Amino acid sequence: MTSKTFVTVGAGQTAAVAARTLRRRGFDGRIVLIGDEPYAPYQRPPLSKEFLSGADTFESLLLLPDTWLATNDVEIVTGTEVTRVDPGTRAVELAGATPIVADAVLFATGGRPRTLPVPGPRPDLVHYLRTVDDAQRLQRTLAPGRRLVLIGAGFIGLEIASTASSLGVDVVVLEAADVPLSGVVGARLGEVCARLHRDNGVDIRTGTAVSGLRTTDAGVVIDLADSSSLEADAVVVGIGITPNVAVAAASGLAVDDGIVVDAKGRTSIPNVYAAGDVARRYSERAAGHVRVEHFDNANKQGVAVANAMLGRDAVSDEASWFWSDQYGHNIQSLGPPTGELTIRGSVDDLDFTAFYTDGDVVRGAFTVDRGEDVMVARELLGRRVDLAALTDEDTDLWELVEEEEVMNR
Amino acid sequence: MTVQWAAVATTKELGRRRKLRVEVGGVAIALFEAAGQVYAFADTCVHQDRSLVKGTLLHGKVICPGHQWQFDLDTGYEESQDRCQPTYDVRVEADTIYVSPIPRATAPVSTGRQAQA
Repeated sequence: MTSKTFVTVGAGQTAAVAARTLRRRGFDGRIVLIGDEPYAPYQRPPLSKEFLSGADTFESLLLLPDTWLATNDVEIVTGTEVTRVDPGTRAVELAGATPIVADAVLFATGGRPRTLPVPGPRPDLVHYLRTVDDAQRLQRTLAPGRRLVLIGAGFIGLEIASTASSLGVDVVVLEAADVPLSGVVGARLGEVCARLHRDNGVDIRTGTAVSGLRTTDAGVVIDLADSSSLEADAVVVGIGITPNVAVAAASGLAVDDGIVVDAKGRTSIPNVYAAGDVARRYSERAAGHVRVEHFDNANKQGVAVANAMLGRDAVSDEASWFWSDQYGHNIQSLGPPTGELTIRGSVDDLDFTAFYTDGDVVRGAFTVDRGEDVMVARELLGRRVDLAALTDEDTDLWELVEEEEVMNR
Repeated sequence: MTVQWAAVATTKELGRRRKLRVEVGGVAIALFEAAGQVYAFADTCVHQDRSLVKGTLLHGKVICPGHQWQFDLDTGYEESQDRCQPTYDVRVEADTIYVSPIPRATAPVSTGRQAQA
């Protein structure tokens, strides 16, 4: 049998998980991961939290240890840009290197932060956070008493606010919407998150649109839509990411705010796949194409697409899940923030699970320091439950799962 | 060397909740019961120091409440992270649960290729 070659364009979470899955499933061909960063694949979630605070080392973030790479014979090409994949031959064309002809290609190119124009002499005072280099650059500015302004109160911005304020930095968060995170967790829970920050001394200014920012020799000036302005020693812009689709487009793949793929991660060109932040995948659950920018999605789709490449049917279409850690509180969210909220526990004490319910059907859940409810919430998704039992702390939630199973027998 | 088994709890104490936190020589141990078997894990999750005893038992795994890492009850192995939680040998005799205070050697999962699943 001729040995096959599998190449990933991108070397982040999705690519690493796909490589690991291929070896676990017995694929014995050549595996090459090509990344434009100078590092082997690493975990990004700690970049705004434990790594930024200095608690975690870079080595602890590495996904595929050297011993594993050697034993499993996986090649990692760092600091290298892919320019195009020839759709006919699947030759992966590299900037300044010989093309690699692949039997299957996985696009796992992720995304890059959306940027704002920054005139002035000190562009280095305005930060973004996506890579370990970004995190290290930002880390150097986080000293007690420094004034940090975060533009955008998304999860990345809020995690940076939490980390920076616990390091003694004076933090202001500017958010154009009236409530942070309302699109992600709903208005009421977004308000809970905002309160968490305010209680920890972070100045969150909602309904505050930024009209521009510029640097001076002394710092950054942020101009607001109401014609006022504020000054900072450094700014982090956290206003979302743009999927990296340039190479896919140059290769002729169908692109629509992400690389369009089917449920199995297949692109419009045979034996070319896409997964992770960059992929707009067909989801039966959502009855349409979705592009999800969460770690868990990168993991699950990395596994699914590796299986698909081996001809295994392993579609993953689970409800989206993510976590965030802020001020020692652990937040987790499962499923879409739709419908009404049914609360179990105490919102005031930040010890609760909020179920998103549509009538008596569970659609999702949001937990603060109750991660133990996430697995059972997953089982309850789409099921009809007794809402009174859901809020009753004396009811074991697993009993609601079992009841339903009995009813369906 | 002979193992000094430590009596940590009775099966009744583990009881209906099937989860119990005990201490052996100053180390927090999480006991779990599934399908009549008792398992002992280091209670502090290798990932972010959360308490595993607050976790969920499901399909032969203990699931950490912190970030949903899923550890195999028999081996402590977390497949998608490729890491192991320390586990301890357990002996049950006349309703008393004994735990070996020395963690079991972890299987060399991260160095070799996995068997085909």
